[in-house]
Amino acid sequence: MTGFAAYLVFFLIIALTYSIVVMGLNLQWGFTGLFNAGVVGFFAVGAYGTAVLIGPERAGAIGGFGLPFPIGVLGGAALAALAALIVGLATLRLREEYLAIATFGIAISIQLIALNFEALTGGAMGLISLPRPMLDVFSSPAHYNLFYLGVVAILALVVYLALERAVTSPWGRVLKAVREDETAARSLGKNPVLIRLQSFVLGCTLIGFAGGLYVGFIGYVSPLDFLPILTFQIWAMLIVGGSGNNRGAIAGAIGVWGLWTMSGLLISQVLPVQFQSQGGAIQVILIGLLIVLTLLFRPRGLIGERETVSKHAGPR
Amino acid sequence: MVAGLQVGTATTASAQDCQVSIGAVLSITGSMAAIGSAIGDAGQLAVDQFNEAGGVNGCQIRYVLRDDQGSPNVGVDAAKTLVEIENVPVVLGAIQSGVSLPVLTSVTVPAKVTQISCCSSAPSFTDLAASGGTDGYWFRTLPTDRPQAVVMANIAREKGYKNIAVIYVNSDYGVSLSRQFKAATEALGGQVASMTAYNQEQASYRAEVNSALQGEPDALFLIAFPADGATAAREWISFGGTQNMLLSNALRADEFVDAVGAQYLSNAVGIDNAQVEGPSVDAFNTAWSAKFGSAPNGPGLHTMYDAAAVALLAMEQGGEANGTVVRDSIRLITGGEGEVVNPGVEGFKRAKELIAQGKPVRYVGATGPITFDANGDVTGPYLIWGVKDDALTTLDTWDSARVDAAIAEIDG
Repeated sequence: MTGFAAYLVFFLIIALTYSIVVMGLNLQWGFTGLFNAGVVGFFAVGAYGTAVLIGPERAGAIGGFGLPFPIGVLGGAALAALAALIVGLATLRLREEYLAIATFGIAISIQLIALNFEALTGGAMGLISLPRPMLDVFSSPAHYNLFYLGVVAILALVVYLALERAVTSPWGRVLKAVREDETAARSLGKNPVLIRLQSFVLGCTLIGFAGGLYVGFIGYVSPLDFLPILTFQIWAMLIVGGSGNNRGAIAGAIGVWGLWTMSGLLISQVLPVQFQSQGGAIQVILIGLLIVLTLLFRPRGLIGERETVSKHAGPR
Repeated sequence: MVAGLQVGTATTASAQDCQVSIGAVLSITGSMAAIGSAIGDAGQLAVDQFNEAGGVNGCQIRYVLRDDQGSPNVGVDAAKTLVEIENVPVVLGAIQSGVSLPVLTSVTVPAKVTQISCCSSAPSFTDLAASGGTDGYWFRTLPTDRPQAVVMANIAREKGYKNIAVIYVNSDYGVSLSRQFKAATEALGGQVASMTAYNQEQASYRAEVNSALQGEPDALFLIAFPADGATAAREWISFGGTQNMLLSNALRADEFVDAVGAQYLSNAVGIDNAQVEGPSVDAFNTAWSAKFGSAPNGPGLHTMYDAAAVALLAMEQGGEANGTVVRDSIRLITGGEGEVVNPGVEGFKRAKELIAQGKPVRYVGATGPITFDANGDVTGPYLIWGVKDDALTTLDTWDSARVDAAIAEIDG
């Protein structure tokens, strides 16, 4: 297996990893209306948590527990949940734009901690030589990538099915009630703050979980992986795919990441040699243009939210 | 030309009907955009010249440049397309260590493709290579921070500094250089009073300066970029810190001297990578000026040109466009005792002739002589600078042999 197929497998591993992040954000924004502008911070907590738990021992450093990968990635997700709980308790009384600013600042702080808490995170150097799970079982990198794609695809599917179940449950309807009209939800005896905290923590847990999967595949982690641009990319995926719809979240992850990366491939194929240095700028313009066009012609995203009151009532 | 055709027959192909690609992943946009596209041009120049000299193994070379946008995730994806879709045997890049490393671990090493960086200086690569994590597929054409630290520790010893405070920028560059300096200083019998990191682009570094002043240091080693470095140096002097200053390579800028005030820097000595002189360097500089109409001033141009030239010569030497062959051929065409060839069309033609005749070649590039050690690292010459009559001036130079001797003294 070589050529485009091998690349496609690689691409889908990253895209489906991001689809889990987007589904986590969708739970927060699409269903509960929480403007989490610090996605990358929780992704980082999950990634570093996993890296520290599975990584080899380093001189003079915390961590290096060398635990099996599944424990590492679940541990990373648990740490992201803990971080979200602390952040949520402190900030969830804030509304919309205030929450956005607070979470954005927290993500920057987390990146700075990663840069400076060297004993734990390796600082600016990052953590190298992280074991990639079950790498030696497979004879070639192509087979290994296929295996990892299978793992990520199954996990994305499990997350999708579980979220679909959750958002069509009574709990899911309360999320939407809080999103649409918090006062009305409170008048029905619901506790909006608690509901928002649950949604925020669960969403961030998924985001952190995906961070662990990313680290397991790349085998390296550094603060450069967690710049604010990633938050923007994830948001673009959700908005283009269709906020409030988990299938839209997956479609957006694949579509936007495909646009982001394959536009570069296309440009490098068609651009004459003397313009290669301008290719990067053309690519960035193209990405922006296509996102804007998608939003103009499909303002609710590729697959928008289904207008249902409950699954028993059916579509209006 | 005859020699070129002989190589062509060996691979049963001619320049007309075959093409090989080499890839580059650089930051054309993003935080490194200011330097990235010129670095891309330097790679292009080497490829154009090699094509003019007859191509590699009789084939024309296609240079595929991809943008990493300064993000590891985009860079890794770009490298993967180069490897799988363009079938490149060599990936040049990336600029930032945080991009080069994930490309190395998740793309090039698993696919057995050689990676040569112009610009990534982090010591993590040396650690990874030493522990077998790169399988020898990693090379870089710029010197790492270690030789610089060793030379600086020697300067400190010559000056008689016994208790040195270090203030460094909190980036892979600053962390690595400060640590290497501490190790080298202690190996030479000196002492480091304190190590203080600072984060970039702050209005004031008073807290950092105060903490570095503890322990009564008799000298300061400042590892910084010009703007932040000037802020820190001014505060250091105004709080009564010593003017016995050692300055890192990034501070060799008029901007820094003007901002601090030349009268406070009369006792300061700095270090920088020396611009080597000689025909090989002139050959590159002339070719660059002829093509782009400006002098090749800027980081990464010389090292990128050499990265591309070394890759192409290794492909010619190995006889096929295959990552493992390139890896195994690189040391055959650098170092060694072969006939010296220089950058430029003539140099590449001569190299192709010699290789076709089975004679050894030694490429001396835009950065001067290149010798890769077991971990794919190179050392280089350094210059020592100071400030005299309000201007930067060169006080001394260390050629590669002197640098190697200083490293050997510490390694015992």
